[in-house]
Amino acid sequence: MSHIHIPDGVLPLWLWGLGWLVTLVLVGAAGKLAERHDMRRKVPLLGVTAALMLVAMSSEIIPIAYHVNLTVVAGILLGPVLSIVAAFIVELILALLGHGGVTVIGLNTLIVAAEMIIGWTLFRTFVALLSRKRAGVAAGMSTVITLAITTTALVGIVWLGGSAATARETGALDPADLSFTNPFTEGVFSVGLFSGGEADAPSAPADSTQSAASESNSLSVKRFAAVVYTLGPLGWLFEALITAAIVRYVTRVRPTLIFSGALAEKERRIPGDEAGGL
Amino acid sequence: MHIGAVDESATLGRSWIHTASPITKLVAFALVLAAAVVSWNLLVLAGLLILLVSVATTARLKPGLAYSLAAYPALFAGVFAFASAPNVLTGLIIVMKAAVAGLAAVTLILTTPYPQVFAPVQRIVPGIVGDALLMTYRSTFLLLDKFSNLLTAIRLRSGLRGGHPLRSARATSQALGGLLLYSFDLSQRDYDIMRLRGYQDRLKTSLPRGATPARDAFLLAAALLALATSIVWRLGAAVLNPYSWLVLLLPLAALIAAALTSRRAL
Amino acid sequence: MSYETAPDEHVHAHEAGPDDVVLVSCVQHSYEDGTAVHLCGLDFIAKRGQRVAVLGPNGAGKTTMLYHILGLMKAQEGLVRVFGRDPAEEWPEIRQRIGVVLQNVDEQLLAPTVAEDIAFSPRQYGLSEPDIAARVDRALGLLDIEKLRDRVPHNLSGGEKRKVAMAGALAMKPELLVLDEPFEGLDPASRERMGEMLKLLAGDGTTIVMATHDIDSVPDMADYAYVMAPGGQIALSGTPAEVFSAADVLAAGNIRPPVLASLFMRLREESADAPTPALNVDAAVEALIEWRG
Repeated sequence: MSHIHIPDGVLPLWLWGLGWLVTLVLVGAAGKLAERHDMRRKVPLLGVTAALMLVAMSSEIIPIAYHVNLTVVAGILLGPVLSIVAAFIVELILALLGHGGVTVIGLNTLIVAAEMIIGWTLFRTFVALLSRKRAGVAAGMSTVITLAITTTALVGIVWLGGSAATARETGALDPADLSFTNPFTEGVFSVGLFSGGEADAPSAPADSTQSAASESNSLSVKRFAAVVYTLGPLGWLFEALITAAIVRYVTRVRPTLIFSGALAEKERRIPGDEAGGL
Repeated sequence: MHIGAVDESATLGRSWIHTASPITKLVAFALVLAAAVVSWNLLVLAGLLILLVSVATTARLKPGLAYSLAAYPALFAGVFAFASAPNVLTGLIIVMKAAVAGLAAVTLILTTPYPQVFAPVQRIVPGIVGDALLMTYRSTFLLLDKFSNLLTAIRLRSGLRGGHPLRSARATSQALGGLLLYSFDLSQRDYDIMRLRGYQDRLKTSLPRGATPARDAFLLAAALLALATSIVWRLGAAVLNPYSWLVLLLPLAALIAAALTSRRAL
Repeated sequence: MSYETAPDEHVHAHEAGPDDVVLVSCVQHSYEDGTAVHLCGLDFIAKRGQRVAVLGPNGAGKTTMLYHILGLMKAQEGLVRVFGRDPAEEWPEIRQRIGVVLQNVDEQLLAPTVAEDIAFSPRQYGLSEPDIAARVDRALGLLDIEKLRDRVPHNLSGGEKRKVAMAGALAMKPELLVLDEPFEGLDPASRERMGEMLKLLAGDGTTIVMATHDIDSVPDMADYAYVMAPGGQIALSGTPAEVFSAADVLAAGNIRPPVLASLFMRLREESADAPTPALNVDAAVEALIEWRG
């Protein structure tokens, strides 16, 4: 669960503002570092990896509202500096396509980048402990642990923001403002995967206080946590299997991409030509 | 989904929005996006969407291409709304915001050649981010194009036999590994070629063709009006909400006009 | 003509002469998993205004050599000089003088229309718009593809794409043209026209380095040829006539000589007084008539 699919206007200004600020500082620093260490050569890999994350994140497994993220694979391939750039680009494009809001790009970048960097660190550690031959296992283990950590961070952010979210004007069809009856006021439609949590209370009547309205309209932390912690582990496992398979494959075919760090010289291949000599 | 289809739509079109200046279109896009961000009024969002549909209609975008691309974000948003929105109304609003943002982005990309979109963006973001943004855009199409081929190949070579979920999962993830490497090589060659042909850090583009100031001004005015409406209805929600239907009048008129002119042109 | 069989015995030129546009001397490139390309043997030299063909079987390292010339790969050992500079280090200084068409033309058309694509390099190098327009017109004319001007490159045929890529390479009026399989996908008429154009360009002083499988067109298309053996070493060099008479080296390199060269070789096997090989049809007819008479 690597980023929040939260539309704009749900989180308070200080939270998403801070997210944007930290993100811009980090992306600027990563850009400088990348220039200094001649990481431009890695731009094609960066582009493909970001594209792979985009494709993965946009292939939703509909019934369980889960999608594969491939963040740990991406982190392993790119290393920490380029991970920040890749995370920002992926979130930027996803936001432009409406996959979460524009205001939360900052926070989402931080979560995805953290996930990539934690994954990269754990993977390196596990490979050192286990040996290169077990790179697939190392990648799978890193994925599960990373996702457990970042999911908790995500729930924390929603908790920070959720309690502070205020009432929003939901417009012409807002039961609070309507003078005519509309079918939604009686809770004809109970939304969500799980019942329970204050958000499932019927919509506030017209004369309710501001805070009651805010409660019903704000994102429910409890339900959010319930969704991510019950379905999450299934997703983590799924993601770990895919990550392990990809890493195992790349390790076999092009080991430098996985092991030689962000600046390996020898990975350019001309298919067919390398067989030429000894 | 081939990048060629997008290029074709962006370059061969001759409509007023195709010939508007790219900078104006980018600004208008940002304004419409801001309008969608600001608004929590379903009818205001519906108005924005109708406005964009009329623009897409006058631009003669291929409906199959434009709306299927634009539907993706709405679909994701729908899943999100289903899992977490407190009520149907909020859910609808979330979906609508995504639909507006998606259609706005698609309209921009299908009416503007990609160098014209990326050159101004690369001017304002840090070097490597602009570079990577361009490569991500190109690689995404490349990847989507190869993905189906690869799955077909794997299926033909016995990977996916019906009723073996574990085996097919393994075959699919194997395919992902191959896809990654293959796409990486392609992307590397793509970048090599760009550099060999003179690209360094940012794209340079020609002056946009045949832009007319009047059209640009009209586009900007429409986008500003959309944003202003969205802000006014947000700030004055308590008073204005009962009159939200008013917001729909102008976009509906635009849609009817667009439909009529495009039928006449056929 | 020079022969080279034992790669260790050859003498390096070490620095390029004044007329040498390209020099590749015993370049080695090895990968971490143990596979490697060793471009040793003879030095590869392309002089100003020369059309040089690089021949060799699949996997001999032709593309690797071109990549070194283009600065895409850095020589781990050995020497590469283009216009007297190391392309891997000093590419920005020489890149405006070099035009490139690589093997997969699909991947090198970057802009959304043909005219825009041909204008890509001049624009990136900051030429003025009127100058760019003139260069695009000239390149379209040279390749005879004016009618493709406003087409979307992705929708063109393979041969058309190759012509567009060539036009893009010519737009900068390069002093060195590097071509990987330039005739692939072209019909015979287009191939002939492309050959004439290359000859014209070489006459004006453009150096042309091309890697090709198309043995039969080499006598007409190239002034000089290098043959790479399967091990990557440069085993043979000389004019096409010289190279194609070295049957043993060609056979060792899995290279089938042009049909006419084979014909004359067979004639020589049959009869000692057979004429010296002719590599184009007119010369062959002449030689055969004279021999019979």
